[in-house]
This record gives sequence, C-alpha cells and structure tokens, in this order.
Amino acid sequence: MSDLDDFKATYFDECSELLTELEEQFAAIEEGERGADRLNAVFRAIHSIKGGAGAFGFSALVGFAHAYETLLDYVRDGRVELTDDVVNLCIRANDIVADHVNAAQSGEDLPADYGAEEKSRFDALARGETASEDDDMGGEMVEEFDIDFTPVMVNLDGGGSGFAAGEAPVEDVFEAAPMEAADGQWEIRFTPHRALYARANDPLLLFRELAALGTMQVRAILSDVPPLSDFEPFAVYCAWEITLVAPGLGEEAIREVFEFVDGDCDIVIAQAGIVPGAGLDLGDFDAAPAPTEPQEPDLSSLLALTEEEVASPARPAEPLPSFAPDLPAEPVGAQDKFEEAPALSFADLAAEIPPPAPKIEATPVAAAAAKPASSEGEEGGGRSVGVQSIRVDLDKVDRVVNMVGELVITQSMLTQQMDETLRARYTELVRGLEVLAQTTRGLQDSVMAIRAQPVKSVFSRMPRLARELATKTNKKIKLETIGENTEIDKTVIEQLSDPLTHMIRNSADHGIESPEKRLAAGKPETGTIRLSAEQAGGNILIIVEDDGAGINREKVLQLARNKGIVAADITPTDEQIDQLIFAPGFSTAEAVSDISGRGVGMDVVLSNIKKIGGSVHVRSWTGKGCRMTLRLPLTLAVLDVMLVKVGGGPYVVPLSSIVETMQCSRASFERVPSGGRVLQVRGEYVQVIDLGQRFGLSTQTAPDDQFVVLCETEGNQKVALVVDDIIGQQQVVIKSLEENFERVEGIAGGTILGDGNVALIVDVQGLRTTHLHQNAA
Amino acid sequence: MEALSLRDDVSDKSALAGQNTLQLIAFSIGEQTYGVEITTVREIRAWNGATPLPNTREFVRGVINLRGTIVPIFDLRARFGDGQTSPTKNHVVVVMSVGDKWVGILVDAVSDILTVSKDDIHNVPEGNSIDTELLNGIVTHESRMVGLIDLHAVVSGAKMDG
Repeated sequence: MSDLDDFKATYFDECSELLTELEEQFAAIEEGERGADRLNAVFRAIHSIKGGAGAFGFSALVGFAHAYETLLDYVRDGRVELTDDVVNLCIRANDIVADHVNAAQSGEDLPADYGAEEKSRFDALARGETASEDDDMGGEMVEEFDIDFTPVMVNLDGGGSGFAAGEAPVEDVFEAAPMEAADGQWEIRFTPHRALYARANDPLLLFRELAALGTMQVRAILSDVPPLSDFEPFAVYCAWEITLVAPGLGEEAIREVFEFVDGDCDIVIAQAGIVPGAGLDLGDFDAAPAPTEPQEPDLSSLLALTEEEVASPARPAEPLPSFAPDLPAEPVGAQDKFEEAPALSFADLAAEIPPPAPKIEATPVAAAAAKPASSEGEEGGGRSVGVQSIRVDLDKVDRVVNMVGELVITQSMLTQQMDETLRARYTELVRGLEVLAQTTRGLQDSVMAIRAQPVKSVFSRMPRLARELATKTNKKIKLETIGENTEIDKTVIEQLSDPLTHMIRNSADHGIESPEKRLAAGKPETGTIRLSAEQAGGNILIIVEDDGAGINREKVLQLARNKGIVAADITPTDEQIDQLIFAPGFSTAEAVSDISGRGVGMDVVLSNIKKIGGSVHVRSWTGKGCRMTLRLPLTLAVLDVMLVKVGGGPYVVPLSSIVETMQCSRASFERVPSGGRVLQVRGEYVQVIDLGQRFGLSTQTAPDDQFVVLCETEGNQKVALVVDDIIGQQQVVIKSLEENFERVEGIAGGTILGDGNVALIVDVQGLRTTHLHQNAA
Repeated sequence: MEALSLRDDVSDKSALAGQNTLQLIAFSIGEQTYGVEITTVREIRAWNGATPLPNTREFVRGVINLRGTIVPIFDLRARFGDGQTSPTKNHVVVVMSVGDKWVGILVDAVSDILTVSKDDIHNVPEGNSIDTELLNGIVTHESRMVGLIDLHAVVSGAKMDG
C-alpha cells in the first residue's frame, strides 16, 4: 500500500511539473508560437497525466484528459485548426485537468459533470472536422512530418508473430472508411510484443476490460509456439483473436482499452460485418501475403517493401529518387501499403545500406520505422533530451547545505586564527587555508545552486489565477510576467505562492477598475498586472505592479482609525498609510467578495515574507496604479553579517541591511522633544535605537566609544543602531530560535559562531516596527 | 566533551523497573531535590555559559549551542522565584525534551537516579502557588522529598509580556 502511495506521490509531483509545462507552452502558444514542437509538448504532457491517472484509476481525469488529448491530436495533424477559440478552450481545459489532478490528490470528488461542457466541445470540434476519420493512432505517428506519407504499422516481434500467410493479416487503417458499428460485432487481433510484458502489462486485464464492453470470445493463436526445446523464456509466441459483440460500440472505445499498451503490441480492429472472410480484400487496406520468414525478416523483402512504398502510385512522389534504384526489387505483390516491417531491424538495415545512407536517414520511411521503437521516449521521457536530472529528497540536500554552512564557518574561524606571526612562520599552512577558503566558497555556491530554482514554478500558476479573477470580477485583466528564470532558494519559492496569490488577488479586486471606469479614466480597457522578478545584490525583488486606481489613502486611513490600528491623534505619512494594508485584520473592500476582502490576505503576505527573512514594500500612485515589492533573501542558509557586541553579548546584523558604520563620537545626535535621539546623516534625520537599552542589557562602554550601525529597512527607511563594539564581518548559518524556544521580539534568529557560542541576529525591520507600535501605544 | 550520556546504562535499569515504577533523575537546587522522568532527559552537561536573550524573563538564562542546534536554558532556581543562580563550572545543565522541543534546565547538581513507585506520588499540597504550578507531584524517597517538575509549566511564560 505504501508503495502505491509512493508512486502516487511521484505521479502528483510529475503532474505539477507537467501542468507547469502546459502553462508555459500555452503562454508561448498564446503569443503566437504555434509550432509543432509546442503542440507535441502539450500532447506529451496531457498524455503522461492521462497515463498515470489510468494506472491509479482516476477515471474522471482519464476521461477528460482523453477527450482533450483527442482534440490535441487532431489539432496536431491539422485536422482541427488552432484558432484563438481552440487555444482558449485548451487553456480552460488545462485548468480543468489541474482541478482533476488536485481532486485526485486530495481524494475529493468533483461533480460528475465537471468539465463536461469543455469535453463536449472537444468532441464537437473533433467530430465536426473529422467525421469520417476516427482513428487517433494515425495522427500520433504522422505528426512530426510534414511530408505526405502513410504511417507504417510495424511489428517489433519480427515478421512471424501470428501473421503467417493465409491467416488474417489485417493492416491497421489510418484513413479508413467510416466505421460505424452496424451489427456491433468486432474482430480484434491482438499481438503483444515483448515490450508489453516487459512493462508488466497483463493481457488478461485487457481482456477483462474488453469483456466489460460486451460479449466476448477469445481465441489464442498458438501456431507460433515452438517446441519446448526451442522455447526462449522472454520471447512472445502467443497472439489472440477476439470476437466482441457490443452493439453501438465504436472503435474508439476498443482502442481505449489498448491505450496503455499502445506501441507495445499490434492491434487490428475490424468490424465483422464489413470484413468478410478473414479480413481479406478490404476496401482501403490490403491483405497481402506477408513475409513468410517467420523469425528474421530479410533485407530484400524489407527493401522491397520500401520500394513499394516509394513507387506506390497512390502516393505523391516521395523524396527517394536515388534510393529506389539501389534496391534489389523483389515485389511482394500488388499492394498500396506494406505491413509487417520489424522496426528495429529495419532501422538498422536502413542505416547500413551504403551509398545513399544520408538520404535514407532523411526519408520518412526510415524515420517512421525508427519511431515506434523510440516512441516510449517520445511519450514519457521526452524531457530527457534536455537537461538530465534526478529527484533528490529535499532533506538530503538540506543536510548538505547545513554541513557546508558549518564548513564555511569553521573555515572562516580558522582564517581568523591566523595572526601575523603564524602567517610568517607557516607559509604552507597559509596557502592551504587560502585554497580551502576558495574551495569552500565554490562548494557553497554549488550547493546553493542545487536548491535554487527559477521562480517560474510559482509564476506559472498565476496566469490561471488572473484568468479566474477576471471572470469573477467581470474585469479585463492581462497578466504579464517578467524575469521568470530568476533563481531563488526552493524554500523561498515555496513560501512565495501564497503571498503572490494574495497580492494578485488584491490587485485584481481592489486595484484594477471595471472596464467602464477604466475607459472613463482614459485608460485601456484591459488592466495589466505585471509580475516580475529580478536579482538585486544579495536579494531577489519580486514586484507585483498594476495600472489600477491605486490605494485609496483616505479610506485606508479612516478604516485604520476605525479599527484602532492608527491612533486618532497620529497623522501618518502617505507611505505609512500605504503600508497599513498589511496590518492584520485590515480590509478596505466595501463589500466582502469571495476573492478578497476578508482582511486576512495582506497580512498573510507580510507574515509569510517575514518568515523567510524578506520584507514587503508598497507604493501607490492615485489613479495610476500600485506597486508592491517583495525583497527576499537569495538564500536562507548562509547570511553575510556584521558581528557586533551589545552589553557584552555577541549580536549580528545582516550585512545586506547595513548602509554604513561610524563611531558615536563622530556622529551628530540630536535630541527630539520626546527625549529620544535622532541621528543626522547628510542632512537626513534618522531614528536611533540603542540596542543595549532596547534589549535591556547594561553596558560598561562609554557612549563615545560606542558605534553606530546605520541600517536601511524597507522603503528606504533608515534606522541607526547603537552598539558597544564592532567586531567584524563574517558568514553565518541561520539557526531558528523558534525550533526549541519561541520568537523573541527584535531577534530574527540565532547563529553559532566559530567559538561555539550562540550569537543573536538582530531583526532590523522588526525593531523599527515594534518601535512604531510602542510610540503609538 | 563534558557532556555525559546517561542513555545507555539507563536502559538496563528501565528494563528492570516494573510497570508501576518510575525512574527519575534527581537534581538539587540548594537544599531542595527535584526530579524529572528519566526518559525525557537527553543529556547532562556542565554549565559553559549561555548567550542571554533580550526581552525575556529572568529565569531564561539564554541559549546555548547544542551540536548545531540552539537550545534555551531555564534557570530553575529563578523559575521558583528564588533569584538567579550564579553559575560556576560545577553547575549542571540538564537537557531534556518537552514535546518536540529541547530545553536545558540549569540546576546546582545532579544527585541520583531514583526508582520510585507510582503509588508513592502524592499531590502537591495547596499553598505555595509557584510550587503547585510547577510541580506535578511529590514523592518521598529515602526520607527525602522530591518534587516532580512539570516541564511544560517551567518553560511557559518565558516572554517579558507573556
């Protein structure tokens, strides 16, 4: 059971990757890139989702995915035109597939008719265009070649498996006449290949499934079974003929049963009414005396077949002029098509033919022959062409990251131990330490790179959100994403999803105006939300920007006063008002909509972002829009810090927030009426926080010997921290205080210094906000 | 280092201990003896200083580095309202797990491992509110009174305003 759960977990992992891929592909398709590879990628993704879903029995998902896949298939081979309408339908379908996947994952049931409307539209589209062509395998094989060419069904088992002359070698039909069931009697010939068994498929299960469709008779064809002495353990000797009586059943339904062994077996389906005798003399497909050599198909017959193909009058001339004459002609019979062509050996042979080798490679025939052999790669492992990757448990990576962090610290500690006398005496040691320092750096960077992921994985979920929001709010919203390849630590990315969702909701619900209002304001009808990511030094900036109405400051302030968030006698600056939207329990929406307005959204943003060591800043322009900036650390594991001393204890201040440091004796403090101090720096007055005082520590250091650490917090607000001493810069690994204790005001966490002692990380932003609260109180 | 692992030799004893008995690690603060159930104790180490935490009550002595993890240290004497301990190298930190957290408790000395019968555990007499708040019960062992520490109560309320 737990094994199955493991597989399921992997499947859902893959699904989320595939769904992300779908979003990406359609983003490109929407932009107008409608190349075949895009469609193929989409098709593969849907096919993989469907495949897994079938294995786990998520029948609703399978059903929907199958209909979707069929449509895609028709689009792919051009039977359905990829109009904007179809693209929109597909995008909607992706959402539904995602919902199905989610439902399957959480074990919920979606309404039975969920997605039925889209499904029927798929069917309508597929039917409308292809009423007379009802076979999806054909498309699957043609897709990649623009050349007019008839796909070849090949048999991996070699020519002999069950298709001895005189039996019923019925070729699969790609452009068959309409095959509506007349009396509902179907003849199915099922010839499994070795691969079918190798993939642990069981024909019995297939038969059971078939039996569910109607009354069934199965006959095993044992004519190829050799004497026991010749038995090869892994060879396949048995084929089956099935007579299925199921009135009103379409070929499609039968094909569906064999969906998952597609490519690993030969399936011939014919309707008994239409197929007289044993399937000879069919209108479009011919029963030809197949190569009679039972095991090894020989070159000549294969080539003959190829020539047939080339010379076939029914087909437009194919680019094989110099190929054909080289072939020893040995006509097999008058036939438009040949059938049994063992794929692997054929491909090999084709490549071995000496003179026109390059041409052969380029021929569709060779490609087609090679294709079924690699079809598995096409369907499942298509990604392997690009970057190779392995799945690793995040815990394992984290363990490495932690150890590398410790290593970095030990290394910096060692370096600190080297004083001048040591340096002079042990030059080799010094050199060794320098190399060690370099290597550790490199190691650290590489390890961090493992955890880093493009923000794309989060960004790609947002277009869907924007679409849904647009529908719900009756607004026109366009979402633009920029810089989605920016890489951030995986943990940060995981924490980003909720905040981004809330921010985009907020923009869509409160920011972007209704189309009428926008037009009246002289703006384009469609509102734009721009989501961008960029790296700025040791930080990543994620910006959500909209061209809506901006924050209604009057309303915000009034609400904040009503809710007691801002005291009546305090007049905040515009910027402070803007930040108020992040206060807990704050909401400006007049009516609580189901999108946002319950007042829980934006403070979730703030708390989530704070949790990962980031900060949020909002800036609004009335009538023009609003910009929210998330500043996130590049990595969570290692922090560059300045080590300071306060009241005898070690504290560290993140280097990223430090602007400058100076000695107190050189700093110009001013008293403000309230008794506090401010620092004047280049004409700017900066709030002063005496860390010793704030942390309730006694200090023996004379005020003039103290230092000022000038820090910048969000929104370019500066704050001056007074500390007893500045010790130096170093890198530290962040350790959680909350793991064994609880959050401490003004402290962002702890870290372990080279001497094994714990130093506390000063939460500069937190200090400033608690300060404000205390003032307000 | 100075840490002394008790886990190994203890396991034999727990095997001997019947179902109705409880094994305690007893430690002293001044004249008073307290005990905690031995299974909660992770390790015992000598006091080696701690980094003080700001904005916390006086019984929070700070945090120490326990093999890469930050563990808070509670001064049990201060917790019982008897003023802060002035720790020396001879003072001992008992590291134990409370729920899923690890905490250290600063005591004067670890005295013994006691096996007591559960029937011998008495309720804490009403009266001193701190005692009733922080003790689960009282047990008499060889005419000594041992207070059973309620670890959850000891580590709660560490914040200044909480």
